[in-house]
Amino acid sequence: MTERITAQMVSGSTLRDVNAAFASLNRSSQELASGKSILQPSDNPYGAGRAIGLQSAIDGLSSYKGSVQDGISWENTATSALSSIGSVVQRVRELTLQSVSGVNNEADLENLAGEVEQLTEAVKQDANVQYAGRYVLSGTLTETAPYEAGAEDAYKGNEGAISRAIGPGATVQINQSAGELLGSGPESEDGKLLDVLRTIATHMREGTAEAKESLGGGDLEKLDANYSTLLQMQAHTGSVTDQLRLAESRIEGVKDTATQMLSNVQDANVAQVSIEYASQKAGYEAALRAGASIVQMSLLEFLK
Amino acid sequence: MPIPTLQGLQTALSGLMAGQDALDVTGHNIANANTPGYSRQTALLQTSNPLSIAALSPVDGKGAQLGTGVGVETITRIRSSFLDAQFRNESSSLEGAATLAEALSQVQSALNEPSSSGMSAQLSAFWTSWSNLANSPTSAAAREAVVSAGKQLAGTLKSLGAQVEAVSSEASQRYATITGSGGEVASDAEQIGKLNTQIKIATEAGQPPNDLLDRRDSLIDNLSKLAQVSVTENKDGTVNVSFGGAAEPLVEGSTVHWPQELSASSGGQLGQLLSLTSPEGPLAGYQEALNQVAAQLSESVNALQPSTPFFTGTTAASIAVTATPEQIQTGPEGEPGANSIALSVAALRGGEADQSYGAFVMKVGGDVQSATSAQENGAAMLNAVEERRQSVSGVSVDEEMTHLVAFQRGYEASARVLTAMDSMLETLIEHTGRVGL
Repeated sequence: MTERITAQMVSGSTLRDVNAAFASLNRSSQELASGKSILQPSDNPYGAGRAIGLQSAIDGLSSYKGSVQDGISWENTATSALSSIGSVVQRVRELTLQSVSGVNNEADLENLAGEVEQLTEAVKQDANVQYAGRYVLSGTLTETAPYEAGAEDAYKGNEGAISRAIGPGATVQINQSAGELLGSGPESEDGKLLDVLRTIATHMREGTAEAKESLGGGDLEKLDANYSTLLQMQAHTGSVTDQLRLAESRIEGVKDTATQMLSNVQDANVAQVSIEYASQKAGYEAALRAGASIVQMSLLEFLK
Repeated sequence: MPIPTLQGLQTALSGLMAGQDALDVTGHNIANANTPGYSRQTALLQTSNPLSIAALSPVDGKGAQLGTGVGVETITRIRSSFLDAQFRNESSSLEGAATLAEALSQVQSALNEPSSSGMSAQLSAFWTSWSNLANSPTSAAAREAVVSAGKQLAGTLKSLGAQVEAVSSEASQRYATITGSGGEVASDAEQIGKLNTQIKIATEAGQPPNDLLDRRDSLIDNLSKLAQVSVTENKDGTVNVSFGGAAEPLVEGSTVHWPQELSASSGGQLGQLLSLTSPEGPLAGYQEALNQVAAQLSESVNALQPSTPFFTGTTAASIAVTATPEQIQTGPEGEPGANSIALSVAALRGGEADQSYGAFVMKVGGDVQSATSAQENGAAMLNAVEERRQSVSGVSVDEEMTHLVAFQRGYEASARVLTAMDSMLETLIEHTGRVGL
């Protein structure tokens, strides 16, 4: 038996077809407008979960990048302070050699001692270098200057470590303590830079043969030992900077890959969606046209 | 026995009357072509009882039966109760799926994922604020930023929890409205009971109450959206309707048994509303997932903040930031520049809390996806059954027009027969016995 077709069936199915065509047209238009293929988690639950994870990972990489750049600036600050201290040490070495040469009178020695004392203050000043308002050579006591200007030579900082995150689970220590190099002055007798500089100045003023002997011997040796500590610290700063720069370029690479992956997961394929949109539009128009002509027809038109 | 002289007039009259009745039925069908739930009706025509003529043949005297015309036996509606049962079954499934999809979509919209303002973005911003704090532990602005990112995160968790709760209480409310006194179930059941009484009277009088039956079927169709129904027909024309697996039938003749206890397996809207709000239902599961995110977030961050906890509360509803910017610890006590703790907190990115939240989003997305496709399938099934039902019971205007023409022509032909009879009788009465006049 042939199925009976009634006007209600025709209008009902026409309406459904038109609605379905319009719904898919609307979907494509939303994808094109937003540029995303996942508009809601239900469009692709697994993809949505992945997109969320990737987005957070990309944010994380951006913050590692920020840390690394901050670390590089920190290291640059420390490097310039250390090289400035290095030139002071060189100058003191020259002055020391000059003081033991034998042609100096008392006034000359006094002048030399005065210059060494000034340079000592300059070293303390250099050690008090700041980056973004923080003392970089003061351990974790970044709000405390490592040294006070004047006679007091005690190191005020600590040996605490400050690190920067350079990747998931990877950190690198960026700070060094000034106390390691400069020590706490003659009272501590630690043989470190300030102690040595103060001793040199004292020996210059004394001007005795004994003093000259230690100036030319033990003092110079101690100065050289401190200089090599300084060189070690400079080398360390350089290697940390290199490490940070490497990390920066690696982070860039990983971030590019992750961004690409995120785009693959959640971005709409514009070319494909545009073509789909065009064909859906044609389908929608056809559904409307067919519906409009079939719904108004009936036998009534022809019975006169 | 000869044929009665006026028998032909009677036969023609029966044709006229039957034609008129059939035209009336066609008119009723056309008038109701767009009435929802209307089943087309048809006048069943039947030949009337023949007249026995004992000895008709002049040769052997054999008799015969002479037809006396036509009559309308009854007017019936054309409807398949088998398709009705199928329709109601599909209607229950569709409404159940639609109710589920609607509720879950509400939760999904509340999530606002994936986007740059959803909770995943806020979690990410929270970890970034810790990483910025690790870069400058002594900065008051960085501390402030950590607290404000934390507060925003806690606020979002709280409002997500509240929105899931709102969907659940809305479902309970809807259930109460539909099942309450004066609700849809009670009013449909009462009308079915009354129709049963009227139908019984008409049936006993031998008059098929077609339009009353249609109205009763429409009401039962409507009940099938709310929960599964099954219908038992009684001999007196009444029906018993059992509803959603309730202990007693909802309607038994003219008696209504309501309210009754329904369950999550009752089907339809009501069954789905009960299953949504049950402790094993999806909404309770979502609430639990959000609580887990809150607990993991709070515990993992607090574990790294020994002196003053950063978060208080371990559920979505109770989580809040209580630490002040000054109380945040970035490193060991008394070392303002130390950042070891801040680094550890920032390293929690992508950890338990992030993963639980990602899994939660995937769960909601998957649930909505399967509920929506169940709804689409249900709609397709229901449409298929409805088409078949329409194909059987729907009014086709073309068909009725054809009937209209046929019955009209039949009426005209019967009238012509009447005229022929009349002219025959005229010959007999006016012109007979007047030879030579």
